[in-house]
Amino acid sequence: MEQEEIKELRSDDNDPLFDKTNMLCKIFPSDFRQIRYFTLLIVQSAPTEIKELNLLEQQISEVIKNAVKHGNHCDINKKVTVWYSFSPTHAHLIVQDEGEGFKDIEKWNDFNRKRLECLHRQNFEELTNYVSFRTKQSDDQDGGNALFAALEYWNGGFVYNGKRNAVAMLKKFQQKRHGVNIDGE
Amino acid sequence: MELKIRKNGDVYIIDVNGEMDLYNSYKLKELVMKMLEKNVKIFIINLEQVDYIDSSGIGALIYICSTIKKMNLKLSIANIHGSVKKVIELTKLMGYFPISNSVEEALLMVKE
Repeated sequence: MEQEEIKELRSDDNDPLFDKTNMLCKIFPSDFRQIRYFTLLIVQSAPTEIKELNLLEQQISEVIKNAVKHGNHCDINKKVTVWYSFSPTHAHLIVQDEGEGFKDIEKWNDFNRKRLECLHRQNFEELTNYVSFRTKQSDDQDGGNALFAALEYWNGGFVYNGKRNAVAMLKKFQQKRHGVNIDGE
Repeated sequence: MELKIRKNGDVYIIDVNGEMDLYNSYKLKELVMKMLEKNVKIFIINLEQVDYIDSSGIGALIYICSTIKKMNLKLSIANIHGSVKKVIELTKLMGYFPISNSVEEALLMVKE
């Protein structure tokens, strides 16, 4: 049977994505109302050559939201620290909160495996049970699907630190040839 | 985000205009729930004017879609494009949602 590659969340303090050399840094209070604004402050330093900047913005916003809401429980006194570095060929970020860490990584991986099995079998009826990952803390506003997309989007890695209160991620963009856009847009 | 409802026979078309993000996606969910209370049975959600969606927006669409499926009613989501399409593709839900390319195609789909 054809096996799809199963991407998993993992935690590893020694992952090279946690190397902060030459990265810029911004610190934000955990103000839920300002998540998209904070995200824009980060994304504005991304070069305009990056295609689909609003997809990059959306993916960064999800990670900052997780830090503000699930990590720091919107406690305005707790900070979210974002290290970032952009070029036309990459986006590298580390987002750290002051929370207890994402305890449910194993549960999430198990849930995601079942979700991918349903997708592989095209069993959309059973998939209904695996479209949204919920924890005791989840509320109606939580989509429960941000990390499914994150694992796909961050093609250079998406990894938590040992304490699981920081996540490092890398997106590699296809380089355009000098003066020529390969996609012909 | 602005929501407008128009009618085509017994089909209710919701035109969504703006960003479906963590601050306003609940509005679409609430509107559909109210319409269900009023016995609306056939829905089209038109995303032609939506250029940004996040996990809350996807979550709202999942909730709406699964509620309508459970009630055996009809739904089609029309005009998914650009980064909205990309985000749904990343979550691998293109096959889960009843998607149509245009409102016209959606009307044919829900009238089947």
